[in-house]
Amino acid sequence: MAAIELEGLTKDYGDVLANDDVSFTVERGEIFGYLGPNGAGKTTTIRMLLGFISPTAGGGRVLGQDITDERELIEAKRRIGYLPDDPQFDESATGREILELHAAIKGDERSDELLELFDPPLDRTVREYSHGNVRKLGLVTTFMHDPELVILDEPTGGLDPLMKQRFAEFVRSERDRGLTLFFSSHILGEVRRLCDRVGIIRSGKLVTVEPIDALLDRSGKVVRVVAAEPVPSSIFERNLEGVHDLEVGGADGTVVATAEGARADGDAPGSAYREYTFTFTGTVDDLLAVLEEYELIDLTIEEAPLESVFLRFYGSEKDA
Amino acid sequence: MLEIFQYESRNRVRGSVYLSIAMSLLAALVIWIYPSFSESFDDVDEQLLQAYPEEVIRLFDVQTMATLEGFLAFELYVFGWVILLGLYVAYLGGGVIADDVERGRMDILLSLPISRARTVAEKYASLAVPIVVVNVVTPIVVYVSAELVGEPISATDLVAVHALSIPYLFVCAGIGLVASVVVDRTGIAQRIALGITFGLFMLESLLEGTDYEAVGVISPTRYFDPNEILLESTYDLIGAAVLIGMTLVLVVASQLWFTRRDIS
Repeated sequence: MAAIELEGLTKDYGDVLANDDVSFTVERGEIFGYLGPNGAGKTTTIRMLLGFISPTAGGGRVLGQDITDERELIEAKRRIGYLPDDPQFDESATGREILELHAAIKGDERSDELLELFDPPLDRTVREYSHGNVRKLGLVTTFMHDPELVILDEPTGGLDPLMKQRFAEFVRSERDRGLTLFFSSHILGEVRRLCDRVGIIRSGKLVTVEPIDALLDRSGKVVRVVAAEPVPSSIFERNLEGVHDLEVGGADGTVVATAEGARADGDAPGSAYREYTFTFTGTVDDLLAVLEEYELIDLTIEEAPLESVFLRFYGSEKDA
Repeated sequence: MLEIFQYESRNRVRGSVYLSIAMSLLAALVIWIYPSFSESFDDVDEQLLQAYPEEVIRLFDVQTMATLEGFLAFELYVFGWVILLGLYVAYLGGGVIADDVERGRMDILLSLPISRARTVAEKYASLAVPIVVVNVVTPIVVYVSAELVGEPISATDLVAVHALSIPYLFVCAGIGLVASVVVDRTGIAQRIALGITFGLFMLESLLEGTDYEAVGVISPTRYFDPNEILLESTYDLIGAAVLIGMTLVLVVASQLWFTRRDIS
């Protein structure tokens, strides 16, 4: 039984189709990132999953329970932890009172341990909390009953870098204990560090679901070459497979022209520069073979930033 | 079970104490001025009630001011309980659900393994705290004050008027609850609750004795009459049962509505 199975989930508000026939499955024990820009429909899917809003068509199951049946969903919720993108608690209550309420309703297996990791000021009222502290309190309430499935909407929004780091480590160790984690994000850096698989949603439609590695492979690498002597641009344009977005730079590292721009100026195809940057989807061996005869000062090969992967997805959609 | 009820009830204790103090002060004030008020007339009803416009007499259901009971029935119970307190609990009821929805707190609450119907019922039930506390504290103050000014009143009638006001106040709170599940914005829900509660009071008061008197059956004020309790020692238990029935209808309707709606 999968942790989450969605089948044609649709929410039609009349003027907006917030979710359009969304289907995917999140397996037990994986970390699934649900990605998309703001307003793409990520939160709508999560709200349907938890029964806050009802789908206008389609449906799904969480932990085997029908999300459109309140009684079944309540059974599932005993084993689900949820943290909204902007968690709100009773402001007049102290953190401790909030935890006591949650403990009374869903049980408390491990709040002590969680409080060592995320330490909101329990004796102060929530009114006095910073955003980060509200979020820490939220993380404790989300995990305190040792849920099987945790759903987080934009989880690291209000956390400082140290807390983000601690959160990422915590999430990975939870996954190793068998937790299933489903979270939404528009911040791609988070995804790459955390996810096993990602689903990408855009304008209410699911664009793709794939392992994060495949996504990164497809997105290629960013290559920067700095040579001692000018290298003809033709070797990247003609002799090497998988070069995209070729840019040439001067000795000081500033981009002086794109390769196409240079050609448009009537520069001979044989023009040469000392520095190049490009996205590369070919094999590294081929790249090295081509560069073998030149004296290099620097060569870096890095994973492409996920932002550009994202852009490629959205770009191609736009072109279509 | 009842975790939300307990939590919400605890939150309402402080406000209920303040409310009780305020209503007790009102009660003490009314009783304190009564002797000098009644002494300044040879016949209060003859001299004063004649001076009031007929509409006011009918609106507030003024029967007599010649006794402390009659004076209290009008000044404290019709005005203070039926109108002021009725409006106040309707206002509180208007915030029960809408406030959590508007402030985004409902999401975390609904992610807990409890049904929406139970959430509505338990949050509504926490309004019992102000309703009961004010009706326990104030009669003690009324009784003692009446003794102090030398105008003792019947303890039984006093207990009855407060006990029978409880179902009335629950109906007012129930009107607020319905507004609270239907509308997302607290301010609007509360205004709707106040408007409906006051409108029903006016409906019953103004239509009484007219051809349209029957329309008043939908008004909770028809089923709670402080004058009849304090002046005649008549306790309308059927009226109380009607009020309890109205409360149940309002709560169940709120539950059904809230269970079916989207929380966005």
